[in-house]
Amino acid sequence: MTTTVEATARSRSVPARPGFFKRLFAEYGQEVVVLAAIVVLFAVVTMVNPRFISANNLTTIFSGNAYIAVAAIGMAMVIVTGNIDVSVGALIGVLATISGSLAVAGYPIWFAWLAPVLVGMAVNAVIGVLVAYARIPSIVVTLGALSILRGGLISVTGGTWITDLPPDYLIAQKQILGLPVPLVFMVVLTLLAAFWMRYTAFGRSLYAIGGNAEAALATGIPIARRTVAVFVIHGAFAGLATILFATQLQVIQSTVPPNLELTVITAAVIGGVSILGGSGTVIGSTLATILFATIGSALIFVNVSAYWLRAVIGLLILATVLADMLRRRGRG
Amino acid sequence: MSSSTAYVSLTGMSKSFGGVKVLKEVSFDVRPGEVHALLGENGAGKSTLIKMMSGLYTPDAGTITVDGHDVKFSSTRDAGAAGIATVYQELLLFPELSVAENVFLGNYPRTGAGIIDWAEVRRRTRDLLDQLDTFDLDVDAKVLSLSVAQRQRVEIAKALSKNARILIMDEPTASLVESDVQRLMAIIRQLRERGVGIVYVSHRMPEIFALADRVTVLRDGAHVATKDIGEVDENQLVAMMVGRSIESLFPKAQATIGDTVLRVKNLNHGRHVRDISFELRRGEILGIAGLVGSGRTELALTLFGMTPATSGEIEMEGRAVRIASPRQARDLGIAYVPEDRSLQGLVKSMAIRKNVSMATIERLSSGIFIKAGEEAQRALDAVKRLSIRCRNIGQPVGELSGGNQQKVVIAKWLETMPKVLILDEPTRGVDVGAKAEIHTIMGELVKQGVAVIMISSELPEVLGMSDRVLVMSGGRITGEIDRADATPERVGTAMTAHRTGEAA
Amino acid sequence: MNLKSLIRHETFLALLLVVVLIVLSFQSDRFLTVDNLLNQGRLMTEIGLIAIAMTFVIATGGIDLSVGSILGLTAILTGVFWQNVGLPLPVAATAAIAVGTFAGFVNGVIITRFRVPPLIATLATLALYRGLAEGISQARSVRGYPEWFYVLGQQDVLGVPTQLWILFLAAVVASVILAYTTWGRTVYAVGSNEVASRFSGLSVEKTKLALYTASGFAAAIAAVIFVSRVSTTRSDMGTGIELDAITAVVLGGTSIFGGRGTVVGTIIGLCLIQALKNGLSLAGIKGDGTIMLIGAVLILAILASNLFERSGTRT
Repeated sequence: MTTTVEATARSRSVPARPGFFKRLFAEYGQEVVVLAAIVVLFAVVTMVNPRFISANNLTTIFSGNAYIAVAAIGMAMVIVTGNIDVSVGALIGVLATISGSLAVAGYPIWFAWLAPVLVGMAVNAVIGVLVAYARIPSIVVTLGALSILRGGLISVTGGTWITDLPPDYLIAQKQILGLPVPLVFMVVLTLLAAFWMRYTAFGRSLYAIGGNAEAALATGIPIARRTVAVFVIHGAFAGLATILFATQLQVIQSTVPPNLELTVITAAVIGGVSILGGSGTVIGSTLATILFATIGSALIFVNVSAYWLRAVIGLLILATVLADMLRRRGRG
Repeated sequence: MSSSTAYVSLTGMSKSFGGVKVLKEVSFDVRPGEVHALLGENGAGKSTLIKMMSGLYTPDAGTITVDGHDVKFSSTRDAGAAGIATVYQELLLFPELSVAENVFLGNYPRTGAGIIDWAEVRRRTRDLLDQLDTFDLDVDAKVLSLSVAQRQRVEIAKALSKNARILIMDEPTASLVESDVQRLMAIIRQLRERGVGIVYVSHRMPEIFALADRVTVLRDGAHVATKDIGEVDENQLVAMMVGRSIESLFPKAQATIGDTVLRVKNLNHGRHVRDISFELRRGEILGIAGLVGSGRTELALTLFGMTPATSGEIEMEGRAVRIASPRQARDLGIAYVPEDRSLQGLVKSMAIRKNVSMATIERLSSGIFIKAGEEAQRALDAVKRLSIRCRNIGQPVGELSGGNQQKVVIAKWLETMPKVLILDEPTRGVDVGAKAEIHTIMGELVKQGVAVIMISSELPEVLGMSDRVLVMSGGRITGEIDRADATPERVGTAMTAHRTGEAA
Repeated sequence: MNLKSLIRHETFLALLLVVVLIVLSFQSDRFLTVDNLLNQGRLMTEIGLIAIAMTFVIATGGIDLSVGSILGLTAILTGVFWQNVGLPLPVAATAAIAVGTFAGFVNGVIITRFRVPPLIATLATLALYRGLAEGISQARSVRGYPEWFYVLGQQDVLGVPTQLWILFLAAVVASVILAYTTWGRTVYAVGSNEVASRFSGLSVEKTKLALYTASGFAAAIAAVIFVSRVSTTRSDMGTGIELDAITAVVLGGTSIFGGRGTVVGTIIGLCLIQALKNGLSLAGIKGDGTIMLIGAVLILAILASNLFERSGTRT
């Protein structure tokens, strides 16, 4: 048959596999860009002020923001499935108060650490059910949850801080093998989550759901159940983030940093998670968190007023987003 | 290779939707190692039948047996487990994921530790693609970067990865360029030799005669005949499909052809509109034939200002014009009834009234305020004139049948009093009755002096309705044929001309 | 259009509002008094103005998260233009409003020209505009505005708080535009099916650009009223107001996916939220506890209307 001969002849002109870097860039483009930005920033700022890479400052950069990176892991998973959660900031505030109160009330330390994880999972299970089974858009559900959690937090605490935390409780201030615990948490959790999302069928199904829900259904993926599950997992990460957040100071404030949920979302998106779902990795979201922290620290070291920090970050986010859009348009 | 016992048999299949019987006691079977072509006009029941075979629909009546056992499919998974896989027209792939992952998604090989064995996923995908003589497809490429033909091969590889015994292909060549069609046919022959049974749904006679072992024709939801391919010729098949002669199907209205209204010279846009020149006259129906991807729709979009021309001239009634947006096109008297009715033509959740007025909303306003009374009156007139069947003009368009939806789109554009009306696949997904009505409307329009450009994939429609036929291939006009000389052979030859340089 | 389901949602919401008003008036004598109600109106004007513009934005299927930051930026600039630059206050306020409007226009350009999804675009400008406000203010607040300026935020015209007139006027104009004009029709069409709108010759991009600009304008006006009401400017003004406004809009029946929604619904949603806040605090429930209830009402209202719709329109 002539056509078969023709097709076989074609095999001789098989294009060479593209090079390693090209492939890396094709698969992890955004992650590479963010990593490069961090490296460049480090190099430049260190030239201006060598104290930038002192152990002390590095600890501040990596440890102080580790809880955001941990929360962004769960957020990345939620966004990959095509959903969103704007309540995670308020949730972390609530969980921190619960955890701190338990610690102060004399419950075992391990219980004070475990409680935020369990409560986070429970709260997000409710959110997940409302999204998956009651079919309310996730932004609406979590907007409501944001009000409930935020209001609940302030009305329960009355704005007072939790003090006299037992020293053993303050895990974020401790070290493992000479490394700060938050850093270890961040790295280990990111790698575990990245591995899970890459090497398990469950993890891959998140991409399928976010990429093409109809096709996912046809493949037999139980979309509703997986959606609930991903919110529950996200709740667990919020709980883990809470442990780092609540134990980094001697006190627990009754508020979380303003717009914390948006910071977490931004970390995921700048790290390469498509807001439309279906693509992105948690390595990217963690790198993006580190990038923000690095910028914040760098501004101080090059003597820019901290008040301009957010403007610079905003500008950077905008530049990244526009660059990403132009890159995509160039491709398609 | 073909054995005589069927692997899958469907007996007495019936199905109704909302009281309309779309399939009436149809029987159909597929043997291992045969290509069984399924033929019929739009709405004949082909897609309903294959959806039952692939587990998407459950039949109202009838039985399915696989390998001699009675089965009931309640999902595509059931059908998949029985060895039946489908390559859909709108492919069900994950654009952000790699080729290899798309093939094995939901069905990953695992390592001893229970995690996904990516090396094995990639190796087995490579094997499957090689078996399909597709050596040039990178298993790590994201699906979004692939051409339609390549995506199709990924779908086929996916079916093979599940050891499919029966492969259903729904118009697999509809959007392929000729070189890819040849390649697909080679793949199908090869699958047949391996004992896979193939259900091949297509309109295209040359492919059917080149590939099929048997052919089944459906018409109006009923089984007409199942024959060995050697027993029939093309004319017989067409007659079985249509059930009457082409002349009676396409009543050509006699209209006087007047002055030139649109003149296009050396028009270009991207790869699909190259150096296009033609003239269009009042009262004329100009058919544009060509395969999907030949540039027919792209030409229409350029004339309509959606993808403005990068070079070339357009003259409306002797005046040189530039068309940079649909608004400008509309104001010049050019209207476009798009190919994809749901996406491009209608706002389905909105009332008929609001859809009909959508392109003329400024004219129906005084200042910024919409004149609701006049809007309603015009919608009522349109419903009456085009006999749109609906409860009232406040009914959301999404609730209407395909044919009535199409009439709403046409009504919307007639409101603009177009001089040039471009109809892109005007009767796709429309039942036989509404199809005739739409053809009648076209006839009336040309009598009123409107110039009509009709793009269609259905050759009988093009030949039956047009005063003149332009044939496109590879973004160029490869033939201009008068009604008297327009035969399927001439048009078909021009459609596949110029195929070089277009391979994926 | 799903006119029926829309009316159903709004009627449901209005009934809920009546019930809430009755219950709350039993809880406290001070609730259902003219003075109290007018004062509550004063408090909801800023969110109200933003929510009205947000109704349009969400009805096109978009979202604007940057309004709170535009509010903060405009507020800061009003103070800075007046005190540091030395412009007369009316000029300073006008200039600040112009900047706020321009900020909205920039959102529109990013969304329409660069095709950035609105959620991302305004998330980025949320950080950027707030950052500019913080950078410009350097944490200094501006106080000591002339007495006449407080007419806007703290005094009455014809016995009704000045800003309530503005909100009322804005609500009427916006309702009319959305319901009866070509512009409103375009908003619904774009929100329901953007592609078909473009294929029908509607000016999709221009409409969206105008809407995001209007959203910036509304936030800027709200900023000046806010400054006048609280007598000071700070860079953190309006933090989180975007979520309050979105809550009001969604509670009011506007579909977060676009294509559906009315200004009246938004206003009812707004009143419901404000009544709950006020009534509960008068009834002795701690101020912030009421926020919880609002969240619950939001979820339950959407849940209820989802259930209605499903049982009602299933064919």
